[in-house]
Amino acid sequence: MSLRVQYARPLNVDQTVALLGELSSGAVIIAGGQELMPFINYGRVSPSVLVDISGLKDLQNIETSDDGLSIGALTVHRDIQINPLINEIAPLLAHAALQIGGGRQVHNQGTIGGNIVAMHPLYDIIPALLVLDAEIEITSQQGSRIVSMADLINESNHKMGTHAVLTRVLIGNSPAGQGWGYEKLKITDGCYGSANAAATVCLAEDGQVQSVRLAIGAVTEKILNLSEDLATFLPASPDADLDSRIAGIVESAVEQPLSDQQGHGEYRRAMAGVVARKAFHQALDMARQDMALRERM
Amino acid sequence: MSEIHEILEETAFLQCKVNGVSFEEEIHPSMSLLDLLREELKLTGTHMGCMTGHCGACTVSVDGRIIKSCITPAASVQRKKVITIEGLAGADDSLHPVQEAFCEASGFQCGYCAPGMVFSTVELLNEHPDPSDAQIRKALTGNLCRCTGYQSIVRSVRQAANQKTASGDHSE
Repeated sequence: MSLRVQYARPLNVDQTVALLGELSSGAVIIAGGQELMPFINYGRVSPSVLVDISGLKDLQNIETSDDGLSIGALTVHRDIQINPLINEIAPLLAHAALQIGGGRQVHNQGTIGGNIVAMHPLYDIIPALLVLDAEIEITSQQGSRIVSMADLINESNHKMGTHAVLTRVLIGNSPAGQGWGYEKLKITDGCYGSANAAATVCLAEDGQVQSVRLAIGAVTEKILNLSEDLATFLPASPDADLDSRIAGIVESAVEQPLSDQQGHGEYRRAMAGVVARKAFHQALDMARQDMALRERM
Repeated sequence: MSEIHEILEETAFLQCKVNGVSFEEEIHPSMSLLDLLREELKLTGTHMGCMTGHCGACTVSVDGRIIKSCITPAASVQRKKVITIEGLAGADDSLHPVQEAFCEASGFQCGYCAPGMVFSTVELLNEHPDPSDAQIRKALTGNLCRCTGYQSIVRSVRQAANQKTASGDHSE
């Protein structure tokens, strides 16, 4: 713990951003603490000002509209796992939240907003949000702006600066018949993945693969968003040729693989292709089942 | 200086309940809940392990959900109810049924991981009174044990579940 830390517990988002707007770069937002507290405990981070937003009720709700889901940034992983609206509209996100490491204790305290702003390559939420084409609401004193998850990961350190706060996660309704998959290669249940893949698949009426969205985590410093790379050879037949194309695109996109406790670099690159194909096939199977169901009706 | 700066304080004012007892004090803003429990309240049953959220020895319950107190800011339990391993036992110091099952099935060896194992079991059995082996192992993933090899812990959870089902007690 640093000796002198100033502390504020703002009452709402307006007060939060008004305060952040006035403070210098030493101010840090804290909510669940699951990302920040280990760094504080070991003296790796010593904020001069802590802005505690953990009590902001308006960032803890989950709402739906005709456009889809709006998830408050302080929603904890456990609520994302069990919320009926999320399970109906974005089951992939509920599933990804179940894959988060650290056990139930972390699921009960960690927030979706904290998970995103950490921008950690090993975390499970961002790959899911990328393939769901999610948008992020960022609020500052100047007002709120909406940024796509895909744009956010392209910005260095999410480019939110120290004057803004991530307020909501927005997920549109999925196209009818879309299948999804999530594959995490891990040594034990509660640990980080060595390679993570999230995928969605839409089929055309003739069974051709019309669109694939794919994101790869835990393999490179920056989570890979490969949806556009895959679009170049779609529509295509769901055959072995498509499988090897997907694996090929993934492996060649991995320029500098991570090498750490989760495995060495070349292994991670090879496994990236494997988890990509597995997630794709989960999504493909689900889309096919959905199509078969609709044909019977 | 604008008015907004007036909400900045040198300390965090914390009001909460720990094991049913009211706590009201100014605390250091970046103090962990673990330090509050062990250093201020001398509730040393909550163990300090890794301080990174990996081992689970510091597990407590906040408003009925288990969390890792070493990576939870003490200031964030404002107006919440904290139960530590000391508060899990009955008022007459009788053990919680899950603690009894762990004693009977040798779930404790050195006992360092005990708070996390016991609290994780309590939360599991509240949701799944008759869990599968897979559910038991999944429920324990937030906790590290360096003695038992986990087999006796899984047996202890099973024993606690059997006793709970037999007694028809599905409350906490």
